[in-house]
Amino acid sequence: MSLSRRDLLKITIKAGAGAAVLSGIPGPLLAQLGAALPEPGQTIRDLAVKELALRAIEAARDAGANYVDVRLTHTRQRHVGTHDMRDVEELVVGVRSLVNGYWGFAASRLWTPDEMARLGRESVAQARALAIGPVREVDLAAAPAPVDEHWTMPVELDPLEDVSVDEVSDILDGIEYFVRVHPAFRLLPGSPSAHFVVQDKAFASSEGAYCTQRLYRTQGRVELELRTREASFARGLDTITPAGKGWEYFKRQPLREQIARLMEEMEAEAKLPVKPVEVGRYKVVCDARTIVNLAAPTLGVATQLDRALGYEANSGGTSYLNDPLNMLGSFEAGSSLLTLTANRSEPGGAATVQWDDEGVRPDDFTIVHEGVLQDFQTTRESAAWLADTYTKASRAVRSHGCAAAPTAVEVPITHTPNLRIAPGKEALDFDDLVAGLGEGLAVKDMKVDIDYQGLNGLGQGNVYEVKNGKRVARIMGAGFLFRAPQLWKGLVALGGEGSLRRFGVESSKGEPEQVTYHTVTAPPAVFEEFTVIDPKRKA
Amino acid sequence: MSEAARNNGTVDLPILSEAECRQILERAHAFARGGGETAVSIKSWWQGELRWARNRASLASDRRNIEVTVHRNPGGGGGAEVTTNQIDDAALESAVRAAEWITLRRARPNDPSFVPKVRAYSRPPSAPIWSDATIGLDTNARAEIVRRMIAPAEAAGLYSAGYLEVRAVATATYTTAYRDLLLGEYSSVEAPYIRWTQAQCSTTVRDTTGMGSGWAGLSSYDWERIGSQCDALAERAIQKCRASRNPVALEPGRYTVILEPQAVADLMEVFMASLYRERPESRMDRVGGPWRLAFDEATQMYVTKLGLKVVDERITIEHDPMDPRLGIIMSPLERPGPVTWIEKGVLKRLGHGINKAIDELDGVNGLHTLRRGTAYRMSGGETSLEEMIRTTRRGLLVTRFSNVKELDNKSLLVTGLTRDGLWLIENGEITKAVKNFRFTESPLFMLNNIEQLGEPVPVFRPTKKEDGELTPAIVPPIKARDFSFTSLADVV
Repeated sequence: MSLSRRDLLKITIKAGAGAAVLSGIPGPLLAQLGAALPEPGQTIRDLAVKELALRAIEAARDAGANYVDVRLTHTRQRHVGTHDMRDVEELVVGVRSLVNGYWGFAASRLWTPDEMARLGRESVAQARALAIGPVREVDLAAAPAPVDEHWTMPVELDPLEDVSVDEVSDILDGIEYFVRVHPAFRLLPGSPSAHFVVQDKAFASSEGAYCTQRLYRTQGRVELELRTREASFARGLDTITPAGKGWEYFKRQPLREQIARLMEEMEAEAKLPVKPVEVGRYKVVCDARTIVNLAAPTLGVATQLDRALGYEANSGGTSYLNDPLNMLGSFEAGSSLLTLTANRSEPGGAATVQWDDEGVRPDDFTIVHEGVLQDFQTTRESAAWLADTYTKASRAVRSHGCAAAPTAVEVPITHTPNLRIAPGKEALDFDDLVAGLGEGLAVKDMKVDIDYQGLNGLGQGNVYEVKNGKRVARIMGAGFLFRAPQLWKGLVALGGEGSLRRFGVESSKGEPEQVTYHTVTAPPAVFEEFTVIDPKRKA
Repeated sequence: MSEAARNNGTVDLPILSEAECRQILERAHAFARGGGETAVSIKSWWQGELRWARNRASLASDRRNIEVTVHRNPGGGGGAEVTTNQIDDAALESAVRAAEWITLRRARPNDPSFVPKVRAYSRPPSAPIWSDATIGLDTNARAEIVRRMIAPAEAAGLYSAGYLEVRAVATATYTTAYRDLLLGEYSSVEAPYIRWTQAQCSTTVRDTTGMGSGWAGLSSYDWERIGSQCDALAERAIQKCRASRNPVALEPGRYTVILEPQAVADLMEVFMASLYRERPESRMDRVGGPWRLAFDEATQMYVTKLGLKVVDERITIEHDPMDPRLGIIMSPLERPGPVTWIEKGVLKRLGHGINKAIDELDGVNGLHTLRRGTAYRMSGGETSLEEMIRTTRRGLLVTRFSNVKELDNKSLLVTGLTRDGLWLIENGEITKAVKNFRFTESPLFMLNNIEQLGEPVPVFRPTKKEDGELTPAIVPPIKARDFSFTSLADVV
C-alpha cells in the first residue's frame, strides 16, 4: 500500500530532474502513496489521496457522524527577497463531523490510513462531547456534490515549476538597482520581495462529493521612500497585491515603468506645499484603493452572516447589520449609486475557486443593489438560516460558497469572497473626479480602522487640498471619521469602467485566527460630506 | 520508538519530545552533502479548542502540527531556509537538498563572527510554564465547563458566546556547528528544547436585542488558575451585560476614568512594546519613540531618558521570572533574574537587540532586556474598585479597550474604543450605562495623572498563534484624571 522510501525518492528526483533545477524543491512530498508513481504536479489527483479521504469519512460514519467532510491540502510557498529566500511545504488534513447538530473537528499532518481513521473517530468524539448538551438544529442547505472532478486555476506560468529562482531574483535585483540609481529614493526593508503559494487540495464528504483543485496566489512588495529637502514619505507599488495568478503577474507587468511613474508622482507631490489639517466637513474624492479599504470592513466583513448573527461576538465582534432576516431587501446600506456584487469566479481573484471548502460551487451574487441590502455571505449551514427569507422572495436556498479554510488543519468558516463595486456610467477617472470637484479634498491610499461592529471608522491616508479642480497642497494629519451607512449614502459620483482597479486584501477572522485573501475591485468615487478631524487631537 | 510515536509525538503527548527533536537534527545532517553544518529549528504544537455562540457550542476541535526549518551552513547570515512539516526520511532528505540548493544561491558568505560563541547554553530559570492540568483538560471536561458557563446566561434570556483553548508547544533549535568547542562553549544559534502550555477562557454575553454586552476572560499557562474561575467569569460577563443595557450618549471630553485591570493592560501594550523597540545602540530602528533624546556621536549611541522620572512614582513595572504567575520562555542569551523597567516612576531599563546582548557578556550572558514586554507586573495600591467609585464625583468606569491603534510613537498616543461595559459614576455611585466612546489618549499621559491604584491581578493576555509564547501580565485597576474621549461610537 505504501511506497518505499526508494520509490519516493525516485519520484522526487524524477520530478526534480526538470523541476528541481528550476524550482529548487523536488516534486510534491507525500508520506505514503499508492503503488503507482504519480505524475509530478498531479499527485493530488491520485486515487490514493481519495482513498485516504474516504477512509476518514468511513471511520467518522462508523463512529456515528450524521455528516462528515474532509480536506487534505498540500501547500508550497516560496518567498524571495533580495538577500533571503524561504521555501515552505506543508501537508495537512482536517476532518469535520456533525453529530446531533454539533460540530467536531480534528486535524493533523499525517496522510496515512491509520491517521485518517484516528481523525475520523476524533472528530466524532469532539462533537459527541458537545452533543450531551441541549438540542441543536443544523440544516445544511442542499448542494450538488461534485463527483471525481478536478480544477486547476488557470495561470500562465506556475511560479514554482515554470520560472527559475534565478529569474525571480534577477527581476528583484533589477528593481533594487533601478531604485538605487535614483539617489533621492530608497527601498524600505523587506522590499522588493515576491511571494508565491501553490496549493493542491482534495475535498470529500459523506454525501459522495469528491473534488480536487490546484490554486495559486502570487503577491509582492515594492515600497519606496523619498527624502528631499521638502519632504519625506513612503509609497508602495499597488500593482502586485495578492492575486490568484502565477509568475505572469510579475513578468507581464511593466514593473520598471510602474516604479518610474510612482517615483515621478512622489517627486511631484514632494513639491506641493504642505498644510496642516483644518477640521470640518468636506466633499472628498477618493481613489480606488481608498474605496476598496472603505468597502472591505463596512460592506465585506459586515455582511458575513455568521458574524451578523453573533458567531464572532467574542472575537472580532458583530455587525451593524444586526437583524439580517428583516434587513434583506429593505435596509439602505448606501446611495442608489452603490451596487456591490460578490464572486469566487473572477479570473485572477485571490478568493477564486471552483468549489469552496464545503464542496459548494460558489455563485456570483449581489450584496447591495442600488443602495439596498440584498444578501449576505453564506455557507451551507448559514444559508439555511435565511431559508424563509429566500423562499418568500422566490430565491433558491443555497450557500453562496463562502466557506474557506486556509489550510486543512483549520476548520472552514465564512470568509469574504471577491467583491466588486459597480462603476459609474460616465468615463471618469480619479483626475476627472478631482477636476469635477472644484473645491474640497482628495485622498489616496486611505487605511481604515473600524470598530467591532464595522460601523464607525477612522481613515488616514495621503490627503490633498483641491482648488479649482487641481490638487494644490498636501494636507498633513487628517483623519476621516465616518459611520458606515451614512458614508455610503453620501456617495454621489463614481469613476467609470476604465477607472476600475483591483486589489488583493488580506483579512483575518476567528478563534483561533485564520488569514485569507480576497480581491476587491472598485472605481474612484466622491462622497458628499466627510467629517475631517485631527486624529491626534485629544478631547 | 513506534512509527506512530515517532510521527505523532510521543505515545503520551501530542507534541515532540526532546529526543525526537535531537533525532531530527541527526537525521537531517546525515543527509547533508558537500560539507558544512546543519541546523534545524523545530516547533511542535497541539490545541484543544471549544467555540460557542448564541448559547450553543459551535465547534470542538483537536488540532496539531509541526514545523521543521532546515538551514545548511547556518551562520552564513541571510535567510536561506526550507520549512517542512513532514519528518520521514524522504521528506527530510528533500528538505536538506533544497536547503543546500537555496543556500548556494541566496545566503551571504559564511561569517563565523556572525554567530559568536557564548559561555552558557541553558535557559535561565523561570517559574513553571508547563502544566499537566492544561494538557490534561480533555474534550469532555472542556465541554462540561462551557455548558456551565452558558447555562446562567441562557436562563437569564441572554446570549453567551466565548472561546476556551488549551495548548501545548515544544520548540528547539539545534546545530551541528561548534560541536568541537571547548567544554562550556556553545553556539548562540541554538536554543535548547523547551515546552510550555497555555490556557485561555473568555466569554462575551450579549443582550438578544444587541443593546448590551459584557465580557470577562483569563489566560495562564496553568488551567488550574482558570478552571475554578469560570463560573465567576460567566457571572461577571452576565452582570456587565445586564448593567450595560440601554446606554445613554454622553458628550465627548476629558473624564476621570476608573480603568479595570483589563483596560489598563489593553492601553499598556504599546508602552511595553516601546521599551524594547527603542534601543539606544541602534541607528537602524526607523521608529522613534518616547525614550530617546539625541544621538551622541562620541558614544555612537542615543542619549535616553534612562534615570529620569517618566511616570507617577507609585508605578513600578518589573518582571521576575521566578514569580509563579509570570513564567515565560527565557532565551539562553538572557541574563537570569528579575528586570525592572520602571522603578517608582523612574526609567531604569531599555531593551537591547541580540547583538548588544551578546556583546555585553561580562561573565554572564546578555542583558535581561531581551525579554522586552513579554511579561510584566505593574505595581498597584490598596484602593478597592468600590472605594475608587465611592470617591469619584464624576467619572467613567471602563471594562476594556478594543481595536487599539498607535497614532504617534513619540508620545505613545493611541486611539481605540471602549467595549463591553462603560458606566457613568456620579457622586460616588454608578448611575447610568454609557454609549461606547472612541478614545485618544497616551498610556504615558495616563500614568502621569494617576489618582488611585488598586490591587494588581492577572489579566487576559494570551498569544493567538498556535506556537505563540507565554505573555502573562499582572496589572492593577487605575483611576486617572483627564482621560480623553474624542467621539461617540454607538456600537455595542
